Amino acid sequence: MDTNMIFGRYYAADSPVHRMDARVKLTLLLVFIAAAIFTQTPEGLVILIAFTVAFYIFARIPVRTALSSVAPLLLIVLLTAFANLFFVQQGAVYFHWAFITITERGCYLAVFMGIRLTILLFAACLLTLTTTTLDITDAFETMLKPFTRIGVPAHELSMIMGIALRFLPQFAEELAYTRNAQTSRGARLSEGSLKERVAALKALIIPLFTSVFRHAETLAGAMDARCYHGGPGRTRLNTPKVQARDFVAMAIMAVLVAAVVATNILL
Amino acid sequence: MIEFNEAGFTYDGSHFVLDDVTLSVPKGQFLCILGSNGSGKSTLAKHINALLTPDRGTVSVMGNDTSNPEALFLVRSNAGMVFQNPDDQLVATIVENDVAFGPENLGLPADELRKRVTEALATVGLQGYEARETNALSGGQKQRVAIAGVLAMRPQILILDEASAMIDPRGRAGLIRVVKELHEAGLTIIMVTHFMEEAALADRVILMKEGHIVADGEPADILTNAQLMTSMNLEVPFTTQLAADLQNAGVPVTSNLSETDLQEELCNLFSAM
Repeated sequence: MDTNMIFGRYYAADSPVHRMDARVKLTLLLVFIAAAIFTQTPEGLVILIAFTVAFYIFARIPVRTALSSVAPLLLIVLLTAFANLFFVQQGAVYFHWAFITITERGCYLAVFMGIRLTILLFAACLLTLTTTTLDITDAFETMLKPFTRIGVPAHELSMIMGIALRFLPQFAEELAYTRNAQTSRGARLSEGSLKERVAALKALIIPLFTSVFRHAETLAGAMDARCYHGGPGRTRLNTPKVQARDFVAMAIMAVLVAAVVATNILL
Repeated sequence: MIEFNEAGFTYDGSHFVLDDVTLSVPKGQFLCILGSNGSGKSTLAKHINALLTPDRGTVSVMGNDTSNPEALFLVRSNAGMVFQNPDDQLVATIVENDVAFGPENLGLPADELRKRVTEALATVGLQGYEARETNALSGGQKQRVAIAGVLAMRPQILILDEASAMIDPRGRAGLIRVVKELHEAGLTIIMVTHFMEEAALADRVILMKEGHIVADGEPADILTNAQLMTSMNLEVPFTTQLAADLQNAGVPVTSNLSETDLQEELCNLFSAM
């Protein structure tokens, strides 16, 4: 399996977006998502696309990398679009056959929702492409810190997230190995009825699980050996600092939000 | 530096994987532990940094009893351990963050962390790799990152638990070169291995069988003892085997452990012909 294709992969480069404070990036992503969800007009979508493209250019992400990191998720976009196409029954009827009715409003929403979701996926990928998993989990940890008082284990959650992300490509690789190993022993993983195929998956899932548990045990030992004892008393190599470029990004995002609100009100 | 005093350890309560082991390792020694699978050699190694604590007897490292929870930090930061599988011991996706993981746990300030990361990476010959992704490195490089992660804690003891078993010969050569340099710089090295060529570099070799130390001495005495090695299901080093075959064939060579010595001797014999 090509591990380069995995969603959430970091693209190492030196750009203003890469150097931004991860906490600011994460917050701005949330703001962007909110703005995208509130957008009601096609003009609003155009503005969102323009800003997304601009941020990708600032981040110096090659077009191919951008497309390949979002591509595996386009299935979700298609499903959403189809759901809108078939279930929204409003306006002029374009097509009717048995229980299928396609309406004007359904078509419009299918395209609108599809584009909106694609924009959201590109925005989310931009965060993971330009931010190392460690920075993301650290940002996550600082943002959860206020909630530790009400019992949210901020450090533990971010540690779990970080390790999960660190092992994702490795498990994808191991799954591919297991698949090849089982196929070479005559396992038919992609043939037969659905029931047979699900049963055949056992041959993949069980070895993967044993490997996950084995990795977990040795990794825990390795962390113990390096004096890991939870969050308290731990310092960090890179302490993030909010810098000028972060304020610039915030200002750009403010312009975006204002533009989206304006399109909603005026159009 | 390291004292095992009749230490015993059992996983299941009845079968002792480590059985009354008494061992003393002085500061700066390069000790190699050999033995077949299940001989207890890895269990022994894991006692040195308190990943395991003895069920019987005591283990002390730099004067600290490893069973004492208060000494745990001191023991672990001074006895760093590198494991077999390079993919199981790297915590972070980026090299510098992984190297910093140990010292971060010690609560060192950021500028000190940075200094140690740079230093440790330079020691293992990976300067400039700070921002690289750990996933994209070769097995040998991953193991050197793991060593750097240990060195960044400035330990007195480096334990390698079959650290070279899963990497290719070139990666292994690089790893061994780093270990030799660290030993020359004064670190105490404990190496568990299957490779006799690596054992030949040590100051001292112990052979383990069923939880006991059955032989303890210099590599030149132990590794070349074909009878002892065979009885332990271990192979004698290639150079030893070659020297023995040459002697049987009537070639008067005397060195039987160091490859370069044997080469030199053969060259001298050849030019004298």
